[in-house]
This record gives sequence, C-alpha cells and structure tokens, in this order.
Amino acid sequence: MIIFRSRSDLLDAVREDLHRPHAFAAERVGFLVCRAGRLAGGGIVLLAVGYDAVADEHYLDDPSVGAMMGPAAIRAAMQRAYNGGAEDLGIFHVHMHGHLGRTGFSEVDDRESRKFVPDFFNVAPGMPHGAVVLSLDQAVGLCWPTPGAMPAPIDRFASVGAPLKMWGRDDG
Amino acid sequence: MDNRLVSQSFLGPDSDVTLAGLTAGIVGLCGGGSHLVHQLPLVGISKFVLADPDIVEDRNRNRLLGSTPADAEDASAKTAVAERVILSINPDAQVTACRSRWQEAVESLRRCDVIFGCVDSYRERDDLERFCRRFLIPYIDLGMDVHEAPGGYSISGQVVLSSPGGPCLWCLGILNEKRLAQEAGRYGKAGSRPQVVWPNGVLASLAVGLLVQLVCPWHGSPQLTACCEFDGNRHRVETNRLDTAANLRCAHFRGDEFGDQFFARG
Repeated sequence: MIIFRSRSDLLDAVREDLHRPHAFAAERVGFLVCRAGRLAGGGIVLLAVGYDAVADEHYLDDPSVGAMMGPAAIRAAMQRAYNGGAEDLGIFHVHMHGHLGRTGFSEVDDRESRKFVPDFFNVAPGMPHGAVVLSLDQAVGLCWPTPGAMPAPIDRFASVGAPLKMWGRDDG
Repeated sequence: MDNRLVSQSFLGPDSDVTLAGLTAGIVGLCGGGSHLVHQLPLVGISKFVLADPDIVEDRNRNRLLGSTPADAEDASAKTAVAERVILSINPDAQVTACRSRWQEAVESLRRCDVIFGCVDSYRERDDLERFCRRFLIPYIDLGMDVHEAPGGYSISGQVVLSSPGGPCLWCLGILNEKRLAQEAGRYGKAGSRPQVVWPNGVLASLAVGLLVQLVCPWHGSPQLTACCEFDGNRHRVETNRLDTAANLRCAHFRGDEFGDQFFARG
C-alpha cells in the first residue's frame, strides 16, 4: 500500500503554477517535495511538504513533447533531494492534465519518468521518488520505493483540507 | 447507493463510496470511543484502526456501550468489544484492532484518513495531535470531565476538529502549560476519574458530525477547524474559542516536522 497525502492548499498552489502559460512549452512541470513514513505491512505514506516550480529558462524548446526539462531543471531537483546533506527528501515530478476526474500517465509520461526518476537515488538513496499526474481534481502516481526497485502505482491519494478528499486507483 | 444508506443520500450521490473508502482511527475505546464504534459503521464507514491496551472492568460498565457482564468477567479487551460491535453492524468491515498503547500502533494509524482521540490526559492529547500533524491527518479530539463546583459538580467537555494548517489544541487554549503541569503534578495520585455515559454520547455525536461534514459536506461551508464546548450542567453546546483562534497562524508545529524522522536511514 502506497498512500500520497498533501494539504489541499499545496495542491491548489501546484495546479495554479502548472496552469500558467510558458513562452514556448505547451505545458509546465514541477517537483513535489516529500517526506515519508512506514506503514504496517510494508507500505509507505508519502507526505507532500513543498513544491518547486521549474524555472522558465530551464525548459528546452522541443515541440515533440508538451514540456522538456533541461539538465539545469534536473540538477535543481537533485539538489533539493540532497537537502544540503541533512535528511534526504523524496522528489516527485508533477504535471497536469487539464480535465476533471480520473487521469493517467501517457506513454511519453511513463517513458520519460522512467528515464530520470531513478537518478534521484544517486543523491537521496534513502527516500522514495516518483512521478505524479494531476487532473483538475484528482491524481495518479508512480513511486520508486527503493533504489533499483520497479515503480509501483500509488494506491491512494488524500487531499487534506475542507473538504477532505480521497481517491484510489481502484475507485470507480 | 447502498440501500442501508439511502436515507442519508443528501450527503451526496457517491457519499456511500466515499465513506466506505475512508479509514478511521479510534484511540481509546471506553467512554467516547464506544459511542464512535456504534455510529461510524452506521454512517457507512467500513475501515477501522482501533487502539486501546485495556480490558473491560466492571467500573467501565456505566459508559462502555456494547460491553456485557461477560466481558468484565472474562476480562475482554476493549478492542475486542469494539470490533464485535463494528462487525455486528457491518459484517464486511475491515478492522485492525491493536490491543496496545497507540504509540505502539503508529504504523497502522498512519494509514488513517482521520483519527479520533478519546484519551484521558492532556499529555496524550498533545502527543496524539502532534502525531497527526506530522502525518497530515485530521484529528478529532473528544474530552470530558467532571469537576467539583460550588453546590455540586460541573460536567463539561469539548470536541475539536484539528486539521493540518489550521489552529491546534494549543491555539484554542485546550492545551496549555498550566494544565500539563497540573496534570503532571497529579500523576499517580488520582483515583478513578468520574465519568458518565451521556456527555460522551453528546460529544461523540458532535465528532461524527464534524467528520461527515468534512468528507461529505451537505452544505457549502465545510469547516477545516471546529471547536464545540459542552456545558453539561446547562445542557448547551457553544464556544467562542474559535472566534479568536480561527485567524491565527498556528506556530506550535514546525513546518519541517513531517513523516518518520529517520525514514531515510532505513
């Protein structure tokens, strides 16, 4: 069982940032910063504690995809994961699909995240890392729990606010 | 919509699915907790994590709903009574019963979407709220007390919905250093604390309402934080604590205290 929990005001701020137009990229991307806890039975709860937008100048002009990050964007995210040598942080790449309800990873999303997410273990090997796709009101995600592990789907999301919203990959 | 819940369909077309998918933690299963294990499965919640180390004793039986004389004779665990009650209402419910202090059940409690605290001391409340904040879990605290007062006794209590990002028990003045110090000073001296069934029922009902409005709001203004104070002598529920605390920026929890402190070290 992998649970992803975030305050709703953080998710609102992420959606607002991802909604901003970019000079040439068709969509924006960013990184959710996470802490984690162990669950009985071997699961993990991921706790979103911050968000780093990708700077405008860190996008590459590649019309074949919605958004292509340059090496500076990855470097900045890796520095965040390293956390100055203090406790490692989990990094979850995030982008948004502009519709309500259930969403999913496109083939490109899946392929690209499998390329760069494992690199975060080079600087923060003790934390899970992954990728999240938001819709306008839900999310799906993949989590690499340990170095060398295959990605596992995030089973359940909770957006903690008023209202408190929860959804899972097995719902409806 | 599940036929059993059709009378509460005003909570939303998918409210049965939402409530069935929610995991509720209940810490403390005597007075307040024993009411919760009746009401929560009735409203459709079907996943529970229960924590209480104690057994049923005769002296609990003035307020422990669902307990029988045999439970006291057999020294049944309070978790076993609670599980039996839940399954009698919903045989398909999933119950994780931890007959232990909640501090020994944290890896089960972390998966809860909400936690109810029905604990006896201010220190425990403080610790449990800190745990919930650390794991971004809304916490609903129930507390009641009977005090000696001029001319007799005073029954009082409160229910607080404490959500990450909102005012906490410290902001609301439920917790303060003086109360913790007084409690520490009484440690080991207190006999059996006076407790009765009906205030617990009032407080538990308020607590269930606070949860349901949070996940299935039936009006346009669900509350992130709430504080209901029960005056058991005047038979009123009211408060003005939130008026002053609602706009406070909580400074009692550090922004970087989340998750397992040593998760990354394995």
